[in-house]
This record gives sequence, C-alpha cells and structure tokens, in this order.
Amino acid sequence: MEDNEQPSHDSAATAAAALEQKHAAMLERLANRHQSRATAKPDSNSSGSTQSFLSQFSQSKLSIDDQISRIRTQPNPPQKAELEAISLGISALEKLVAEHSYLLPPYEVRNSLTAITHLRQTLDDASAAVAPKKKFSFKNKSSKKSAAPASDQKSEVVSEVESNKTNPRLGKLGLMDSSAAPGFRNKDKEELEMEFNRGEVDARNGEFTLSNLRDCEVRLKGCLRALFVDNVVKCKVYVGAVMGSVLIEGAEGCVFVLASHQIRIHNAKKCSFYLRVRSRPIIEDSNGVRFAPYCLSYRGIEEDLAEANLDEETGNWANVDDFRWLRALQSPNWSLLPEHDRVGMLNTDKKNEK
Amino acid sequence: MGLLSIIRKIKRKEKEMRILMVGLDNSGKTTIVMKINGEDTSVISPTLGFNIKTMAYQKYTLNIWDVGGQRTIRSYWRNYFEQTDGLVWVVDSSDLRRLDDCKYELDNLLKEERLSGASLLIFANKQDIQGSLSPDEIAKVLYLDAMDKSRHWKIVGCSAFTGEGLLEGFDWMVQDIASRIYMLD
Repeated sequence: MEDNEQPSHDSAATAAAALEQKHAAMLERLANRHQSRATAKPDSNSSGSTQSFLSQFSQSKLSIDDQISRIRTQPNPPQKAELEAISLGISALEKLVAEHSYLLPPYEVRNSLTAITHLRQTLDDASAAVAPKKKFSFKNKSSKKSAAPASDQKSEVVSEVESNKTNPRLGKLGLMDSSAAPGFRNKDKEELEMEFNRGEVDARNGEFTLSNLRDCEVRLKGCLRALFVDNVVKCKVYVGAVMGSVLIEGAEGCVFVLASHQIRIHNAKKCSFYLRVRSRPIIEDSNGVRFAPYCLSYRGIEEDLAEANLDEETGNWANVDDFRWLRALQSPNWSLLPEHDRVGMLNTDKKNEK
Repeated sequence: MGLLSIIRKIKRKEKEMRILMVGLDNSGKTTIVMKINGEDTSVISPTLGFNIKTMAYQKYTLNIWDVGGQRTIRSYWRNYFEQTDGLVWVVDSSDLRRLDDCKYELDNLLKEERLSGASLLIFANKQDIQGSLSPDEIAKVLYLDAMDKSRHWKIVGCSAFTGEGLLEGFDWMVQDIASRIYMLD
C-alpha cells in the first residue's frame, strides 16, 4: 500500500505542481489576452481607426469649406461643374462616415453627420447667393424667370445660353413628332389606305399613327407593331393585325375594327369597337362606347392574324375594364353592341375594287 | 431598438430589395417583369391595380412592385413609395406624342422625398419597334442630366418583346442598391 501511497502522494504533488503551472499559464494567458485586448483593440479598431477617420474627415471637410468660401468670394459666378464637384465631395464624405459608422463611437457619427448637413447647408446657401438655383422645369420661360431676380447679369446670361441650348432639342423633338413617324395626320373627308408589306420584316416592325382625322375612312392592312390614334372624329378605322398595343386617345362618333394584343381607349365618346384582342381591353374617361367581335376580312388577313398570334377568338372583346368604374357593377360607360345593331362582315377588298 | 431598425436588420439578412416599377400606361412595365421572370408575355392585360413579383436575382431577393400606369390610377403610386430601394421608370420609346406627359410624371415622382434615396433605372423600352427614340434621345428629352447629382441613375435601352437590355438594366440597379445598402457586409 505504501508503495502505492508513495506514488500517489508523488502524483498528487506533481498534480498540484502541474495545476499551479497551469494556473500560472492561464494567468499569463489571461494577462496576455488582456494586454493584447488593451493594446490591439484600440490600435486596430476604435481609437486608431477613429483617429485616422477623424483626421481624414476633418481634412476633407476643411478642403470643402475652403472651396465653398472660395466660391463665395470669387468675382465671377461659379460654373455648374464646380458646384457639382463640391456636392460630390460632400457625398463622398457622407459615404466615408457610412463606411466607418460600424466602428465609430456614436458620438463621432452624430458629430460628423451634423457636420455634413452643415456643409450641405452652407453649399446651398453659397450657391443660392452666387447663382440662384434654377428650378427644374419643362418651360424655358419659367426657368428664365427664376434666374431673372438674381440681379446678377452674368447669371442671366448663363441661363439664356442654357435655354438656347435646350430649344433646338425641343424643336428636334417636335420635328420627329410631326413628320418623321409614319402615319396619317390632319386629314378631312378622305379615304386613306396603307398596306404593310407582307414579308418585309422592317415594315412590320414599325408603329403607325392616326392623328387629327375627320370624316375619314382608314384601312390598314397587314401586320404592324403598334398603333397610336389621337383625336379622330366620325371616322371609320379598319385595321388588320397589331402585334403589340393600340392606344386610342380622343375619339368621337367613330367605328373601329381592330385586332391587337392590347387595347387602351381613352376619352372616347359614342364609338363602336369591333375587337379581337388577346388581353382585356380597357377604357378610361370614356362614355357611350360599345363593343362587338371583330368582323374584318381582306385577302390575306388570315395570314396576318396568324402571324400576330391573333387567329383565335378569345372572347375578350366583351371583357372590358373601365378604369373610371372600379366596382363590381356593370359600368354605365360601355355596353355590348346588340347583335342586330352590328355591321356584318366588312370586306375592305371590295371597296378597293369599286 | 425601433421596429424600423428590426425590419432593416431582417431585410439585410435576407438580402431583400424592394423595386418599384412605374411609368405611363402602355410602356411595358408588366411585360418587363414577366419577361425577366421567364413567363409568357403574349397575354397581358393593362394592369388594374398592381402586381407583386418576388424573384431571386443573383444572391438577392427582389420584391418587384409593378403598379398600373393608367392616368386614373397614377395618383395611387404614392402608396407604394415607402421603403423603395430601386425605382424603375419605364418609357415607351415609340410613343413620341406622350413624351411630355412622361417627363411631367417622372419629374413629379423625383420630387418625392420618400424616393430620394432610391436608385433610378430608366428603361427606354420598345427599342425593337422601328422609329423609336434611342436611349440618348430619351435622356435628352427627359432632361436627365439636369437631375440632382446625388441621385444614382442610369438609362438603358431595352425591348421587353425580345428581352434585350433587361438584364443589363437590372444588373446595374441591383449592384447599385447592394453597394449602398449592404456596404457594411
């Protein structure tokens, strides 16, 4: 037993020693950790990066302040680009704060954010004082007016130069609008016909416009991509296949025969629509409009309809949505055309032969 | 911790983005969403109300709110502004006559404070139609250069009909939003 005891005592002693050693090691480790925490953390995280952030921040803030004050004292009004550069600088500053917001103490974040708002404010004030900000508006006139009270001749010159620059653009747009786009416009009591060439992909890929027509009969044959109709009165409009959408804005006393993927009808009064449409037709701000199924024929219409995926009757001509009548009840603005009031099958070929 | 910050945290964790699609009627908003989601685009009715599509895009989840653009329902757009990360403005490049309308509505939208932080993607749609304006021309007509400089925006020509340009646009927007919201990750 003694033999046994001896080693056990020994082992107890060694165990105690080991424990002590372990304890010491642990203490050391703890101390190390504590120290490393005390030294490393501020170094890599809070104080070090806070310090570097703060210096970076104050540096760029100073330079922006400098720029703004330079603009204030400058004799000639600052260029737009200059102001933009400053504003971009402020944005960058904001981004810097956002990037560091994770590591910064809340006080610093708050501080720098208020500094940024302050900068923005002074920039706005400065730019308003030197060159009043033009309001973003569509009319050149109003922009000139807002610039006029500046009393600064130069800024008025600038705004005039700018408005000169924008005018041609508008003119260009107007030109495109009126003549470049294919369509029938400003006609009275005429028969208008257009055939979109079969087989020629280009012609089928285009849009077509009917605008300001009165007492006309319009026949469009073939396949087209989009149809815009505005301000037509007492017209008859017969259209083959529209592969995209039809947009009708302003029609009175007209008859439309259309096949299309989508149909939108705005501001129509007392019109009849004979439709084949893949989706639900909609009306808006319309009244007295009546609907019936498609009834057009001409030589080759089957191919055109098939090409546009409109060869099947979907029955959607009767599923009209009225955006001015969002209730379950039937809208008073439209109705189905009673069968005895409908025109028969219309053949536009015959008219041609007459 | 406010409810808002909790929601923000959850949002960040799930990498969700809220995208609002707006534009005039007939510009192709629903078609774009359907196309990018790989659905059939041949039967689409004008949107009465709105559609929501949730889809996985890269490593993010997009919640796309596609709101109808008919004139009568444009006044309801503002109900969808809250918490919008990305704004998609869709233009029918072939509809020259209503570009003024388009400009007016976009201008109104950009005045909205709740959308001030949202990235703006402008789709010049229907580029496949002959005679439509190019993205550059649309940018000029809409005076995009005159926009507030703090706004992140990009105009991309596209065709919801063929699908061209859609991914380019969405890629840009998702990246832009990610770099803004998920900067800390």
